[in-house]
Amino acid sequence: MIEIGITGTNTITFPYLEVWDWRIVLYLFLGGLSAGMLVMCSIANLRIPKQPVEELAQCVRAPLIAFIVLAVGALFIIFDLGSPFNLIWGYLTFQPLSLMSWGTWGVPIVLFANALYILAVIPKDQRHRLKFSFLIKISEKLALKMRPIAKLNFALGIFLGIYTGVLLSSFSAIPLWNNATLPILFLISALSSGAAMIVIIAKKAEIKFLFTKIDIWLIVAELVVIALFFYGLYTSTAPYKKAIEPFFSLTSEHFIFTVALIAIFLLLPLALRIKLGELKEFQNEVHEEFTKAQIFRMNFAAVLVIAGTLILRAAIVYAGQLTKLSPY
Amino acid sequence: MPKYVMVIDVERCIGCMACVIACKKENNVADGYFRTRVVEEVRGEFPYLKMELRSELCNHCENAPCIDACPTRASHRAKDGTVQIDKKKCIGCKACILACPYDARYSTPEGVADKCTFCEHRIKEGKKPACVETCLGKSRIFGDLDDPNSEVSQLLKKHDAAVRLEFAGTKPRVFYINKKFAGGL
Ligand code: SF4
Ligand code: SF4
Repeated sequence: MIEIGITGTNTITFPYLEVWDWRIVLYLFLGGLSAGMLVMCSIANLRIPKQPVEELAQCVRAPLIAFIVLAVGALFIIFDLGSPFNLIWGYLTFQPLSLMSWGTWGVPIVLFANALYILAVIPKDQRHRLKFSFLIKISEKLALKMRPIAKLNFALGIFLGIYTGVLLSSFSAIPLWNNATLPILFLISALSSGAAMIVIIAKKAEIKFLFTKIDIWLIVAELVVIALFFYGLYTSTAPYKKAIEPFFSLTSEHFIFTVALIAIFLLLPLALRIKLGELKEFQNEVHEEFTKAQIFRMNFAAVLVIAGTLILRAAIVYAGQLTKLSPY
Repeated sequence: MPKYVMVIDVERCIGCMACVIACKKENNVADGYFRTRVVEEVRGEFPYLKMELRSELCNHCENAPCIDACPTRASHRAKDGTVQIDKKKCIGCKACILACPYDARYSTPEGVADKCTFCEHRIKEGKKPACVETCLGKSRIFGDLDDPNSEVSQLLKKHDAAVRLEFAGTKPRVFYINKKFAGGL
């Protein structure tokens, strides 16, 4: 038997670091949800090319909700900063190697483009709600540019969805995160939660149906990438192999990871099946009215997908911080 | 630019922790936190056990991931080549803490990142870092590697030195000689 004993004197950094907590988890979740919604509502709005521009916007509430979700997420990351008043220094420089710097600049840019999107999709008969006449004028002008604005928000949504994964994967000191599949996993789960959110908020049967279909493929892709994520780590060197241990250990201190496993591997596929069931029922009569039970089932599946996205991020953030390159 | 390095002679450490306390006192390190530690590692198969007392601190890496991670340039390379934190610019995002493979950094109660500075303020005056000055066994040795006559240059010439987690590619400036567990650093 090999005996290894370590006595560290630095109680704060020993035996492991846990420096990012639930606030970062919520930011990653809300940022991803907002990113997914921006991409999905842009798809909805860009889908039909031939209508007059004023009637193009199919998805009008999603940009507003995406904005609120991202703004709340950004608040959580600001709450996590030890010295938020020094943030000004973040805007006096741009550090291309620091993913934090990409976020510092990226989030306000996304919020700005998102605000333009909100104004561009407001229906004519609702514009009076904007109160200020200059806003109404801007909205009238932006409505004509709805398509390019939707394209911009699509691109920024992809950026926002992927950069958080790149942020985590850039930490070479943390084996669980330092993995090229992580950004893809984060992006797909963000898109999936965005699609699920649109299923929940959409009023039109056609839009609900479209995003239910899109989400099925995203969930399938997510399951494949999760498998590849674990496979890649398992076939790597010792610290990487060790990094996935918490996910496969049933001891109570790792309970959250076990819960995550159940949610990701069992509940999500369940949601998928519920959705597949729906798909069959609606195949031939897409534009029919939904029954209450059908709407409940669709929304329930979507809620599961969104919860899965949150749990995935929590599990990766917490489990990642238990892993290290050093052998102890 | 000098190339300040620390050589740690593992055989000479007696585990008295005087360095840990000297550092805390010299740098006013907050309660409950430490900028350096002495790790006691025991390995082997009972009853054939070996023990190593190993001082650990910020390695002032040449290829420092903590500097790359910082969004505000608070973490930077100072003119003397050491890795330093400008507390006025630090937003407390903790990215550098996660980026360091050596657990060398922590977040202070004031919400900024902190770590060993190689006693920047002392080396400016030509003094040695407090931990080196106080080391009873002369286990910690400090100096300029660019000066071929310095004690550190001589020691590194004589010994087969190791750095911690060499495979991480950070090029540490803290070297370990007379180590017992070359692989486990
Ligand atoms: S030991 Fe850690 S904190 Fe010190 S320079 Fe290297 S990476 Fe940065
Ligand atoms: S905690 Fe401070 S020093 Fe560290 S990366 Fe953030 S801003 Fe830079």
